[in-house]
This record gives sequence, C-alpha cells and structure tokens, in this order.
Amino acid sequence: MAGAKNHDYHILQPDIWPFVASMSALTFTTGMVLFMHEMAAAHIVLGLGIAGLIATFFGWFSKIIQEGRAGDHTPVVQLHMRYGMILFIASEVMFFAGWFWAWFDFALFPTDMVEVIGGIWPPEDIHAVMDPFALPLLNTMILLCSGTTLTWAHHSLIHGDREGLKKGLWATILLGILFSAIQAYEYMHAPFGFGGNTYSSAFYMATGFHGFHVIVGTIFLIVCLRRTYVGDFTPKAHFGFEAAAWYWHFVDVVWLFLFIVVYVWGGWGAEYH
Amino acid sequence: MATTADTFQAHTDEHHHDADHKPGFFARWFMSTNHKDIGTLYLIFAIFAGVIGGAISGIMREELREPGIQLLGTVAMWLNGGEVDFDQQLHLWNVLITAHGMIMVFFLVMPAMIGGFGNWFVPIMIGAPDMAFPRMNNVSFWLTVAGFCSLMASTFAPGGTGMGAGTGWTVYAPLSTSGSAGPAVDFAIFALHLAGASSIMGAINFITTIFNMRAPGMTLHKMPLFVWSILVTAFLLLLALPVLAAAITMLLTDRNFGTTFFDPAGGGDPILYQHLFWFFGHPEVYIMILPGFGIISQIVSTFSRKPVFGYLGMAYAMVAIGVVGFIVWAHHMYTVGLDVNTKMYFTAATMVIAVPTGIKIFSWIATMWGGSMEFKSPLVWALGFIFLFTVGGVTGVVLANGGVDDNLHDTYYVVAHFHYVLSLGAVFALFAGFYYWFPKMSGRMHSELLSHIQFWVFFVGVNLIFFPMHFLGMNGMPRRYPDYTPAYQYWNEIATIGYEIMAVSIVIFFVNMIYAFTAGKKAAPNYWGEGATTLEWSLSSPPPFHQFETLPVIEDHHTSDNHIGPAPAKA
Amino acid sequence: QEAPAEAGADAVAESAASAESADAAYTPLGPDMIKGQPEPGALTFQKQYSPNGEYALWMHDAVLLPLIAAISLLVLILLLVVVARYNRRANPVPSKTSHNTLIEVLWTGLPVLILVVIAVPSITLISRQYQSAPKDALTIKVTGYQWYWGYTYPDNGGFEVISNMMPEDEAIDKGLPPQLAVDNRMVVPVGEPIRLQTIGADVIHSFAVPSLWFKLDAVPGRLNEREFYVEEPGIYYGQCSELCGARHGFMPIAVEAVPRPQFEAWIRSQGGTVGGEGGAESTSAPLIAPDSAIEGAPAAGEEPELATPETEV
Ligand code: HEA
Ligand code: HEA
Ligand code: CUA
Ligand SMILES: [Cu+2]
Repeated sequence: MAGAKNHDYHILQPDIWPFVASMSALTFTTGMVLFMHEMAAAHIVLGLGIAGLIATFFGWFSKIIQEGRAGDHTPVVQLHMRYGMILFIASEVMFFAGWFWAWFDFALFPTDMVEVIGGIWPPEDIHAVMDPFALPLLNTMILLCSGTTLTWAHHSLIHGDREGLKKGLWATILLGILFSAIQAYEYMHAPFGFGGNTYSSAFYMATGFHGFHVIVGTIFLIVCLRRTYVGDFTPKAHFGFEAAAWYWHFVDVVWLFLFIVVYVWGGWGAEYH
Repeated sequence: MATTADTFQAHTDEHHHDADHKPGFFARWFMSTNHKDIGTLYLIFAIFAGVIGGAISGIMREELREPGIQLLGTVAMWLNGGEVDFDQQLHLWNVLITAHGMIMVFFLVMPAMIGGFGNWFVPIMIGAPDMAFPRMNNVSFWLTVAGFCSLMASTFAPGGTGMGAGTGWTVYAPLSTSGSAGPAVDFAIFALHLAGASSIMGAINFITTIFNMRAPGMTLHKMPLFVWSILVTAFLLLLALPVLAAAITMLLTDRNFGTTFFDPAGGGDPILYQHLFWFFGHPEVYIMILPGFGIISQIVSTFSRKPVFGYLGMAYAMVAIGVVGFIVWAHHMYTVGLDVNTKMYFTAATMVIAVPTGIKIFSWIATMWGGSMEFKSPLVWALGFIFLFTVGGVTGVVLANGGVDDNLHDTYYVVAHFHYVLSLGAVFALFAGFYYWFPKMSGRMHSELLSHIQFWVFFVGVNLIFFPMHFLGMNGMPRRYPDYTPAYQYWNEIATIGYEIMAVSIVIFFVNMIYAFTAGKKAAPNYWGEGATTLEWSLSSPPPFHQFETLPVIEDHHTSDNHIGPAPAKA
Repeated sequence: QEAPAEAGADAVAESAASAESADAAYTPLGPDMIKGQPEPGALTFQKQYSPNGEYALWMHDAVLLPLIAAISLLVLILLLVVVARYNRRANPVPSKTSHNTLIEVLWTGLPVLILVVIAVPSITLISRQYQSAPKDALTIKVTGYQWYWGYTYPDNGGFEVISNMMPEDEAIDKGLPPQLAVDNRMVVPVGEPIRLQTIGADVIHSFAVPSLWFKLDAVPGRLNEREFYVEEPGIYYGQCSELCGARHGFMPIAVEAVPRPQFEAWIRSQGGTVGGEGGAESTSAPLIAPDSAIEGAPAAGEEPELATPETEV
C-alpha cells in the first residue's frame, strides 16, 4: 500500500513546536517555583518560559493558518477541529466545576470554628460585598451584548458581508476589553482583599480564572479580526472564527453562573459596597 | 459524521508522502507527528519510568525488611549531601512513597497504556492513517517528559523537613500546604499539572480520532474492544483531570499566595481537597485499568481463536464502569467524618461496580470456553491478569463497606488491594500487551521461552510481595510507615524476599529484549495465526511508516456484530 | 456464630464485677494487661473488644471473607477448567458461540444478589457505628499534633494529657512493645459509652485503634465525634493512620481502659475533677478552643510542653 496518500486526512510533517511548547511549559513552571520562593534567576527563567510559550502560540497557530490556506483542512479535518474544540470546552467546564465546588462548600457549610467566618456566609470578616446589581450587572449586560455582536459578526460572515464582520468583531473585542477593565476596576476597589478567608479566596480565584479566560478569548477574537483584514475566512470555511465564538460563548455562560452563584446568591444578606 | 467511502477521493497534495520515507533522527524522534513513533517514545519512556519507580520500591522494601531505620540514613545523606538528622531520614520515606506512587501512576501505567499502546494501535485498529491531531499528540508526549522532570526536580529541592516532597501521591492538605515549606511540593504539583495537561490533550485526540477517523464500514459496534476501552478512558481523563487541576491549583495558591481554601484558620476545609482529589482519583484508577481490560480482551480472543463472548456487554460494561466510577469517590474518605447517610450511599454505590466488572471477568472465561487455546506468552500473562485482578477486585469490595473500612483504611490491606489491581493487574496487562504486540512494533520476535520464565518468576515474586500485605493490614499495620513494631516483621520479610524474586524477572525481561533485537527472528505480518483478526495483523511487522494510504473498507460480515474486531479488510 | 452483642454484654458484666472489687487507687496497668496489639505472623484481625468491633469482625469472617474467597476460587477453577479442556490439543476446533442470554443474565444477577447479601450487615454496621453516645456520656477530646497526641478531658476539669512515643530501649526494658508504647496513655473507663472527639492541631492525623475497630481522622478546623466503647480492662494499642509528616510512624496511641473507680482515681492524680467536685462547672469547659487548637500547638520539631505531671507507667 505504499504510494500516494489516498484519503482526506491531514498527514503532518515533523514539527518542532510541540517540543518547544513542552520545554517552555517546563521552563515556565520551574520559573514559577523559583519566583514563588524568591530564588535566584526566577525572573529570567519565568520570562524565558513565557516567551517560549508565546512564541509557540505564534509559530504553531500561524502554521495551522497556513495549512488552512493551503487547503489541508478538508471537511473531515475541519470536523476534527470541531470535535477538538468542543471537547476542550468540556474539559474547561470541569475545571470551573472544581472552583464552583469550593464556592458551594464554603457558602453552604461556613465553619463556626474560626472568627473570620463565624458560621455565616458571607463570612464575618467580609463586612461588605460588591453590589451585584451595580458593576457586576453592568458586566453581565456587557458580556451578553458581546454575545450578540459576535453573532452579528458571524451572520455577516456567512452572508458575505465583510464590513459587518469587521464591525461585529470590533464591537465584541471592545466589549471584551471593557469587561476586563471594569473587572480590574472592581478588583482594585473591592471592599475585601485577596485571600485570608474562604470568601475572598474562592471569589478571586473563580472570577479571576474567568477573567483570564475573557482575556484569552479576546486575544482569540483579535486574531480573527486580523485574519479578517488579511482576507481569511469564507462564508463556508471559517472554523477559526467559529472556535473563537464557541469559546466566547462558553466564557459568557461561566460568567452567568458566576454572577448568579457568586455575586447574587453568594453575597445575599451582606452589606453592599 | 463518520467518514464514508465516497469522501476518499484522491487528494492533490503538494507534499507527496512515500509510505516509508522516514525523517532524520532528530526530526523523527523530537519533532514526531507519527502516531507509531510517538507510541514508541511513550513505551520507552514508560519502561524507563517503571524501572525508576520499581527501583524506588526496592529501597522501600529493603527498608521494611526488618524493624528499625536502615537504608534511609544512607540515602538521605546522599540526597542532602551531608549529615542528616532522624527526622530527615523519616521524611525521606515519605518522599520515596510519594515519588513511587506518582511515577507508577502518572509515568508508567498511563503513558504505557494510553500513550504507548493507545497511540500505536487505536489508529491502526480503526483503519486510520494516524491520529486526528498529530502535532498535539507530540506535545502530549513531551509534556509527560516535562512532568517527569519536574517530579525529579522536586526530589532534589527542599521540602520542609528534608529534601523532596513527602506528601504521598494524594498530596493531602494541609500537610502539602502549611505542612511542607520549600519548593519541593510546588515542583511536584507542577509535575501533576504538566502530566495532566498532557493527558487532557491526549484524551481530546483519542476521542476525536475514534469518532471521526474510523474506516468506511467500521461502526462503533464493530470496533475492537481495545479501542472501546481507550474511548471510555479518554472520557474519564477529559472529565476528571480538570478537577484535579483545579484542586492542585488551590494547593498552589494556598501555599504561595495567601488563599485559604484548605486552611482552617481562614475558614478553609481540608476535606474539600479530598473531595476534589478523589473526584479525580477514583476515575483515575479506572483510567489505569480500562485499557488493560481492552488488551486482555484482544489477547483472550486471539489465542482462543474465538470472537469475544458478549461483545456488546463487554463494551457497555466498560461504559458503565466509567459512569459509575464518577459517583463513588468518597469511599477513600470513610474515616474523615462523613455523615451516616453519605457513608451508606458511597458504600452501596461502590459495590455496584463489582457487577459490570464481573461481567468482564466471566465474559473472558466464556470466550475461552469452547475455544482452542494456545498458551503463547501474552495469553499466559492474560490468564494471570484475570485471576489476580479478581483477587484485587474482591478485596476492593471488602473495603467498599464503610464500616469495615474503619479498620482497614490506611493499612496495608489497602496497599495489598491496590497493588493486586495495579502491580498485578495493570502491570500484568502491560506485559501481556507488550508481548502480544512487541513483534508487530519492532519487527522482531522475542523469545517465548524467556517470556514464560519471566511470567512465572514475576508471578511468584509479586504474589509473595503483596499477598502477605493483606495479613499485615488486617493485623493493623498502617501504611506510609518506615518502621514498625516487631510483630509485623514476619510478613514484611517475606514481602521483601518476594521483591528480590520479582527483580530477577525484570532482568529476564531486559535479556529478552536484548535477545529480540540482536537475534530475534523477523516477525511475519500475522505471527499469531488465524485467531488474530484485527487490522494491525493485516499490515507488515513493523507496519509502514504511514499505513492505510488507501483506507481499508470493513465489510459486513455475518457475525460481525459480536466479533472482537472487524471482518478482515479488503486488501 | 454467637451474636456479637451478647458477647459484648458478657464482657461488660465481667468488667463491672472486677470494678466493684477494685479499690479506688490508680496504678497503671502492666504489660500483662495488653489486649489490643498485633501478633507476630498473624493472618487476620486483632481480637475485638467493642460490640461494634465484634459485629464488624463477624461480618468480615462470616460474610465477606467466605464470599470473596469463594468468588476468587470460582474464577480460579473456571480458569483451570478452560485451560485443561479448551487448549489446542484437547479441542483443536474452536466453537463460534458468542452469546448465551441465560448465562449472561445469571452472571449479572447473581453478583447483584451477593452484593445485597453484603449490603444488609454493612448498612447495619454503619448505623451502629453512628449511634451517638448518651447525653451524659464522658467526653474525651483527642487532638493530633505533629507528632504526638493530646487527650483532653473537658468533663473533668479540662486538663490535657500529652502522649509521646516511648523510646525503644525504654519500652523493651518495661516489657512493652516498641513503636507502640507511649509515655502517657489515654485512660478511659471500661464498659461505658464515651463520646470521643477528634481534631487536628496542624495537619490531619487519624486516631485509630485496630482492636476496637475504631478509626477517626483528626482534621484541623473540624471536630469529629464518634461513640467509643471498651468492653474489658486492658491496654489497646493503635497508631496514627493518616500521613502527617516525618514522624507519622512515631505517634502511637495507647488506650488504657480501667474500671470507673480507678478511672476517677486517675483523673484526680492528673489534677482533674470528678462529677462537678471542686465547684467549677466542669462540663462547660470549652470543647473547642478554635484559636488555640489551630495556632497554639507547638511548632513541628519543637519538644511538646507536658501539660500534666508525668505518670509512672
Ligand atoms: C487499577 C486500579 C484500581 C481498581 C480497578 C480498583 C477497583 C476497586 N476498588 Fe480500589 N483502589 C485503588 C486502585 C484500584 N481499585 C487504589 C490505588 C487505591 C488506594 C488509593 C490510595 O489511598 O492511595 C484504592 C482504594 C480503594 C478503596 C479505599 C480504601 C481505603 O483507603 O480505605 C476502596 C473502598 O471502597 C476501593 C474499592 C474498590 C472497588 C470496590 C473496586 C472495584 O472496581 C473492583 C471490582 C472487581 C471485582 C469485584 C472482581 C471481579 C468481579 C467478579 C468476579 C464478580 C463477582 C464479585 C462480587 C459479587 C463481589 N479501592
Ligand atoms: C501502577 C502502580 C504501582 C505499581 C506497579 C507498584 C509496584 C510496586 N509497589 Fe507500590 N504503590 C503505588 C503504586 C504502584 N506500586 C501507589 C499509588 C502507592 C501509594 C503511595 C502513597 O502512599 O502515596 C504505592 C505504595 C507502595 C508501598 C507502601 C508504602 C507505604 O505505604 O509506606 C509499598 C510497600 O511495599 C509498595 C511496593 C511496591 C513494590 C514492591 C512494587 C513492585 O511491584 C515494583 C516492581 C516493578 C514493576 C512491576 C514495574 C515493572 C514495569 C516495567 C519495567 C515497565 C514495563 C512496561 C512495559 C512492558 C510497557 N508500593
Ligand atoms: Cu499523625 Cu500520622
Ligand atoms: Cu476508588
């Protein structure tokens, strides 16, 4: 059966990026350990790791984009990518399940054995929480809105309206940045600090990981926007865009849960800030 | 969804592949995008890790041969590079068991089963030319290596009382947070992060490959059971590992950034960590055994020259084990102070798993029943597996009883249980699979005689190590102890002797490998004969660098719905 | 099989009788009174000295062990049969059967039945273990420290006994088992239900006594409680059963059960109070002192301060 490839799968040439990615990840985690223990060369190692990871993302994704342009992404290969993205999002859901688990554990069973908690939720030490119906509600609106602008972009893309695509993407990206900015503002003006008790630990880690995902999603969208400008994406083949959109909607849904569980329910009965 | 025959038209492709054109050394082994090469890398890595993990358990067994602290002092001095106090020696014990547990679980069994055999044979068995994401496949492998390096680094970093992470493979808080200053535990946590990321990507790859890349005619219900086992395993990985990632991230922030997830002073709950860990940890134990189930199914059918008995029952039993495996986790936590209803629920739920597992055991026996068995080495290892796994499984059912576990928890009875399912279950399946497929992968025949000798020596050795541990455990010997009261000496000494016998068998294994690569006969495409029906046997040994350049078409076959594998493919 | 509960009752009566005859002075029990400890080369559990322990042991010996042995043997025999009958020589032409609904239903249904048989005593055992001690039961609070135990008697003035492992030489001199013997034992009254609470001071420990079928984790920030009952006077050894750092293997547990009068004498010898004597409302002594429980413990490696006068063993 030696001879020419006679199927639609994409058989890849050897590639150095996976190796670079892994070694960069190891460098990054090692740098983190050095950093956390204030050891020598921490910043250099950490910097190298991050640089390697960023380089990997550029190198790896540009390769994928080039391969897409070269026609390697046959329908079945696109199907792979869909599956891959959906499964990746499923694993992300479970990651957030872990943080919500912690939140529910603390909120439903606040311990009465230490004064900082005092058997109540929000804990004794949390004198005031963020008013969910102020900035968090605004942020909810912003994210929901960004979901619609993204759908606008998608519809435009499908109907061959490049201008609409650009506008929709621009709007989504700006809304995403706005969300992150408001989140940062809130963190800076929060009535409680980071850590020290279960409320602020679970609050910052859960919303923080969400915020990190918003930033990643925003970058993902920026890449799509750039690709739009250079003429990528056709009404039929635009999986890169779809993946970004799925990811964005996923991040959106996580926020809805955070809003309801952490901000509204989790802060119920406390003084609003 | 499935790829159908008419989508497979010739594809004009600028980079023309010749099936056996292999890249140069560096490109081939460091930049690989070839599932078979990556599988080989995984296997070599796993054997390497297995030897290290096995050597560590050798130090442990020698230390436990008699009461008192013997070896730890010497090893600790070497590790610390100077004088050590008594506590540092004792801490070393905890470092050894932590490293042993993590290496065996994350760097021997998982890489060998999923990364090694999974990579090699899932694509071939479904008639695919490679994995769905060949590049991501390689990042999975190298992340495993990265994780291993991080774990090794932890051994040489300060960990509080002495060098290394001494938390146990379960990394329970607060011992792993406020109880272990120094970077060692952070290195170990990152080792789990890296290995976990590797496995999540691997899981995505396998699920996509199995769902999307089956050859025309290869329906889900025609897939070989090994492929089914990897499919279920991949789902367990995909859903369980992220929860571990969250849990160990909480450990990191508790350790370094002032959060109090598990710190009672800030209202945190050490038991929360255990819930999160075991929500991952219990599925993890099935992650380690399900691929083994798959391997055993292939082997039993091949050497009995019979299709697997109750194919559908076998496949869905694995699905059931996977599903139920997610709702039994707290049976590892019976003594933490669960409330009474919780304990009763987890007792009942845990026992349920014995039912689908029993279906598998009995179906293997029924497959052989009426068969024409040929006792080649893989079958002998498989027979050993079936019996010894049963022994390990039934002691699991004893432990499942929350009230009974009050006595047995954290004793050597548990150690005996899980080594029967792992060191005598998973590892037997590994050797079975290895001897089954080694000639296929390497093109060389191993010595059947040496494989049989290795089996018997290993069999005697590991049973001598681990069976007495049931007695020790029932008699009350706690686990994770470097020293014990003289009453426990008798069986400990026997266990240590067992280890020495077992070690001989590993030497025989390597002799066999040397033999195969130097003097082994060339392997025919189907060296096991007519019982071997899955697609790998239609390829040369070793298979071409890129197989199935033209996809095989799986024909409908009158007994195909209960066949172990697809009907023979059209050439 | 003798119903375990009765056996328990007998033992209680016996120990109660010995209690009456004893005078009210406390002398620590000697090595001849060691009851709960491992036996060299033993094949099974330690003898049980609590009603729940006897029930659990009965359940293991009469239900679980025979069943799992039978299942393992069945699998082994079936394997031997197929090896003997269906090898290439004996049976050159393999059959093609791959289905048999009846047998498949059987090997699904029978295990279910077996599990139901196991579940009945199993659930009973759990519910017995969770019966809480009567309101007026004596409370003992067990605190796990790195790496020793503290036993607090809140009903008796709230003093805490600190219990460290006895050095090997000393133990051997005294005829006590090394690695198990301790300097100060946890003394309890025999034949009465005790409310035992556990908590961890630094990391998780686990209070375990195999011959009483008792194991309860001592978790920081969490007070666990279980009924604790010893049927016969004697010494019962156990060991910390949750990995707690370097000296996890070096913080044994020794329970010394004595009749009520001796127990009260012991309490007094520790400077404690019995039955509200000494004026103070001793029962209201705080069971939980959250801050001290979490922060007040000696740091790892520090020699613990002995809270009580040393007791001669
Ligand atoms: C491959 C890994 C593997 C597998 C497959 C299993 C399988 C099982 N395990 Fe095990 N287990 C571990 C690995 C594994 N375990 C590990 C590593 C630990 C310790 C972790 C740590 O603390 O470090 C552990 C600990 C552990 C505990 C906690 C003990 C403790 O710490 O106190 C329990 C308790 O319920 C348990 C139960 C079971 C059960 C019920 C099964 C069942 O799945 C077994 C089912 C199989 C059979 C029953 C045999 C075949 C069936 C028949 C022949 C049918 C007829 C049988 C009956 C009707 C009974 N296991
Ligand atoms: C797969 C898992 C696995 C395996 C194989 C083993 C194998 C062995 N284990 Fe281990 N063990 C664990 C998992 C495993 N263990 C875990 C999770 C713990 C708990 C840790 C903790 O408490 O935190 C533990 C704890 C543990 C203890 C208890 C320590 C304590 O509590 O204080 C002891 C004591 O004797 C022990 C001994 C051994 C011995 C002698 C072997 C021997 O069988 C080793 C012999 C070596 C091999 C069998 C490997 C050979 C394989 C190869 C060379 C590769 C072959 C590969 C291919 C063919 C592809 N182990
Ligand atoms: Cu204390 Cu283990
Ligand atoms: Cu489990």
